[in-house]
Amino acid sequence: MRTQIILLLAIITMSFTVNAQIDRSVMPKPGPAPKVKLGKAKRFGLKNGITVIMVENHKLPRVSARLSIDNPPVFEEDIAGISDVMGSLLGRGTSNISKDNFNEKVDYLGARINFSSHGAFASSLTKYFPEVLQLMADGIKNATFTKEEFDKEIKIILDGIKAGEKNIDNIANRVENALTYGKKHPFGEFASKESILKITLEDVKSFYKNYYKPNNAYLIIEGDIDTKKTKKLVTTLFSTWKKGTIPTQNIVTPTNVQNTQINFIDMPNAVQSKIAVINNINLTLKDKDYYAVLLANQILGGGGTARLFQNLREDKAYTYGAYSKVTQNRHAATFKATASVRNMVTDSAVVELMKEITKIRYKKVSAEELTNAKEKYIGNFVMNVQKPKTAANYALNIAKYGLPDNFYANYINNINAVTINDVQDAAIKYFKGNKARIVITGKGIEVLKNLEKTDYNITYFNTKGNSTTKPEMSFPIPKETTAKSVINKYLKAIGGKDKVLQIKTLKSTATATVQETPLVMTVKKAAPNKSLQEISVMGQIFQKSVFNGKTGYSELRGQRKPMPATDLKLEQSKQYIIDDLNYTSGEVLRIEAVNGQKTIVIGYNKSEIYYNMESGLKIKSVTTTKTPDGKDVKVPTIFSNYKKVNGILFPHTIDIKSGPIDLKFKVQEIKINEGVFTTDFE
Amino acid sequence: MKKYRLLLLLWLPLAINAQKVEFEEYDLNNGMHVILHQDNAAPVVVTSVMYHVGAKDEQPNRTGMAHFFEHLLFEGTKNIKKGEWFKIVSSNGGKNNANTTDDRTYYYEIFPSNKLELGLWMESERLLHPIIGQKGVDTQNEVVKEEKRLRIDNQPYSRFLENVKKHLFKKHPYKGTTIGKMEHLDNATLNDFLAFNKKFYIPNNATLVVAGDINIANTKKMISDYFEEIPKGKEIKRNFSKEAPITQQINAKAYDPNIQIPAIIAAYRTPSMKTRDSRVLDMISTYLSSGKSSVLYKKLVDTKKIALQAGAINLSQEDYGTYVLYGLPLGDTKLDTLVKEIDQEIQKIQTELISEKAHQKLQNKFENRFVNANTSVEGIANSLARYHVLFGDTNLINTEINIYRSITREDIRNVAKKYLNPNQRLILEYLPEKK
Repeated sequence: MRTQIILLLAIITMSFTVNAQIDRSVMPKPGPAPKVKLGKAKRFGLKNGITVIMVENHKLPRVSARLSIDNPPVFEEDIAGISDVMGSLLGRGTSNISKDNFNEKVDYLGARINFSSHGAFASSLTKYFPEVLQLMADGIKNATFTKEEFDKEIKIILDGIKAGEKNIDNIANRVENALTYGKKHPFGEFASKESILKITLEDVKSFYKNYYKPNNAYLIIEGDIDTKKTKKLVTTLFSTWKKGTIPTQNIVTPTNVQNTQINFIDMPNAVQSKIAVINNINLTLKDKDYYAVLLANQILGGGGTARLFQNLREDKAYTYGAYSKVTQNRHAATFKATASVRNMVTDSAVVELMKEITKIRYKKVSAEELTNAKEKYIGNFVMNVQKPKTAANYALNIAKYGLPDNFYANYINNINAVTINDVQDAAIKYFKGNKARIVITGKGIEVLKNLEKTDYNITYFNTKGNSTTKPEMSFPIPKETTAKSVINKYLKAIGGKDKVLQIKTLKSTATATVQETPLVMTVKKAAPNKSLQEISVMGQIFQKSVFNGKTGYSELRGQRKPMPATDLKLEQSKQYIIDDLNYTSGEVLRIEAVNGQKTIVIGYNKSEIYYNMESGLKIKSVTTTKTPDGKDVKVPTIFSNYKKVNGILFPHTIDIKSGPIDLKFKVQEIKINEGVFTTDFE
Repeated sequence: MKKYRLLLLLWLPLAINAQKVEFEEYDLNNGMHVILHQDNAAPVVVTSVMYHVGAKDEQPNRTGMAHFFEHLLFEGTKNIKKGEWFKIVSSNGGKNNANTTDDRTYYYEIFPSNKLELGLWMESERLLHPIIGQKGVDTQNEVVKEEKRLRIDNQPYSRFLENVKKHLFKKHPYKGTTIGKMEHLDNATLNDFLAFNKKFYIPNNATLVVAGDINIANTKKMISDYFEEIPKGKEIKRNFSKEAPITQQINAKAYDPNIQIPAIIAAYRTPSMKTRDSRVLDMISTYLSSGKSSVLYKKLVDTKKIALQAGAINLSQEDYGTYVLYGLPLGDTKLDTLVKEIDQEIQKIQTELISEKAHQKLQNKFENRFVNANTSVEGIANSLARYHVLFGDTNLINTEINIYRSITREDIRNVAKKYLNPNQRLILEYLPEKK
């Protein structure tokens, strides 16, 4: 009996453990919601206008200080870039310390201090912080500007501008801004070579004097601090920073276009099109519908679960990511939906982006979508709210935007209060699908044809954001261009027809490696059309083809075959030792851009030969041949590295691509009128 | 000065104690390694898994597989439908992502701490029974190609590392890129992917980290519930080819259509990041290029004004390192000139000891870096996993600084002498591609 009970108990416990096992098919339920505690910040002001925010956190022995000068944006006009130049010259010496000593001190303390046109940042271990903050304050208050540093910086900025001229992201960004805000707006202008060259050292000094002032500044100190001591330290270091009168400007308000349109910027090196659908909006943190637009944007394009990403990436695989963003700003706010897509699908991606924008405006989102969006915001809020950096940012926003002190305490309630209708209202108001610019930076020749099939009017802009004409899509063949004129230009370019015609025999040796095996190719020719081509591997002749003027054969590993009739006919028809002379009987097919350079393409028999329009040199030929199983394959040969031999230019690098094999021949030697004998062609 | 040092010495131990990362680690029966780190300061929890598989584990004709696989493992599992993964994370207020290097693949979720079980469920689903199907393969094939276009083909200076590695490595798989060759991915069949999963995605090749606002006992119970049942896999044998030493300078050129200003690169093959020498090289690169008073910046950019940028990068990896010195010429400066100037500084390090002050500066910088290394739970989780998987010593998160502290001026000279010689390197001219 007793044993039975034990057995029964054992069975019960066993089944109990089975029951206790988790059920994988059901998603686990969350535990009780964690308590949200807002981080604390202390605030005080100095007479010169600085608001100081302090957040105490002792987890790590380090402190950071951030200065943010909140002046209205400045339109820099003909000296655009002045604020950046000034900003980058800060920290290069003060009236108390030389640049080298300043840098040496900062690095020695293992600290960081950076300056910009509208602020500064410093961080260090707690033990060095007073010294580091003093260095930062000195750099802020007593900056000196020398001619030497100024000249050097201008040089670097100019090279930087040059370096960015082919950078697609860089060009796209600046033109998007120029179009969205207008080039007469601080957010739309950008530095150019011309504007940078106009800037003088005096301009820099006066910009510093006028704008780098404490009037609208915030200083945020965060980390392992004692607030009492820090207040004292800050007051000592920053009270002496003198207030000024900051110049005011009237800035034009950016306006939206009347009808949605495509603005195209041609970048011939682009392998992807950068698409941005942009419109201006009025939106600040203070607005009532701020939360509704945040959630509407979250549903449209706020990340991996949003509609744009799901549609353009997960469903259609057009892009690595598609997103949208609303940027609140007191001076000029924007809505922007973006994707970088491969050239081929540019038009389809535009259609899908616009479809999603239109859909969220005209069709209510589902309750599930809204709940999920709210959960994301609340979850992120909960996770971040206790971080010292968050506490500092919240305090800064409250001060900067004049928000009520309970703004962030009410955050979760405000998010939760947004309804489906609020989301739609916000989408209609802020996502102006009907008055948007679709700015596309990409390779015109590959994407425009299809873009023209969309419903939108297309206008063209250059990389500076100025209106321009449509890029050339195909190039007209200039009048009076014939195969003969192209060849004549070629002959002239390589040294002149007279010299070329004096070639009676030609011998060239070239080497290449394929799968680490060295190959040697020897070509011999004799006027008018005798030829021999030999490829040998380690001294053994591997392949050979010979034409003696009347008949010919080819040999592969010693197996000889007579030349097929068609090839024979072609060889017999040749009249010149230099192949190109034979092409005068070909025809001009088209003008084609090869690596951004225009070429004239001549068709001759089964080959197309490309001559650079400008230099006249032959850069490429593509021959169609048959594979052993009868398929047509195109074999491109690229000619480069032209060097003179007896006064005539010959390409010394010949790159032949045949399927997966890439044979790069380096010409070792070319001999003219020597080393070739009649017996060679037997 | 002496007094000051003493003061420093008194301070140091305090600073270490102030930030010691406490953790607990153990193995499950199936060989999965578990690391727990409790920090209740904020209601956040990180669940992450690092798999010891990266681009170097790929077949030579299937490069890009490891990274591609990272994409595939978001496609769904037996209990998580295709397309639901991101939605579950986001609608629970979380964030997630993953990344792949040559050495390892890392997946993580960050949730409000009451969603810990959800994170564990998701990671266990991914390991136990992911759904790997043709449709997912097809979609992600295009997505990965877009990623390559976005991050590499359309970006300036993005091909330099590829070109450096191609020349420095002849046999070891570090010769390729993490993103791999697109034609390899096109040729990969569903069976290739299934085999890859079976070989590498096994608990005995995985390290689970749970960090943040957790209760240790409850967390252990949940981990056991979700992960113990996953069957152990076959032991993985790794046998990577060793490289022969470079004995003659390699000269090469590479072209980039997205740049206007060329760059000159001197690159050296260096030992594994696990070695002390690799850390010494870290210090040398800091000496050369970190901060405005650093040697290369000060000389080339600031004083002589011949470079737009100059620097040193010590890219340390599990089997080898790649040490790169680079410069972008300013104005009409010749690339050769930059090499000569950089070489002079290297020779100085090789023949003279760096000053005591410079050495102390390096120590201060590394101390600062150490304090700043473990500021977020996300960062701590990643470091714990990395130190275990790649270094085999989780506690390096606390003790690696001691290795740096022990590096002397003589070490710096000797290591520079040992590795940074002209006949051991590649000189790569990185030039604008003419269009």
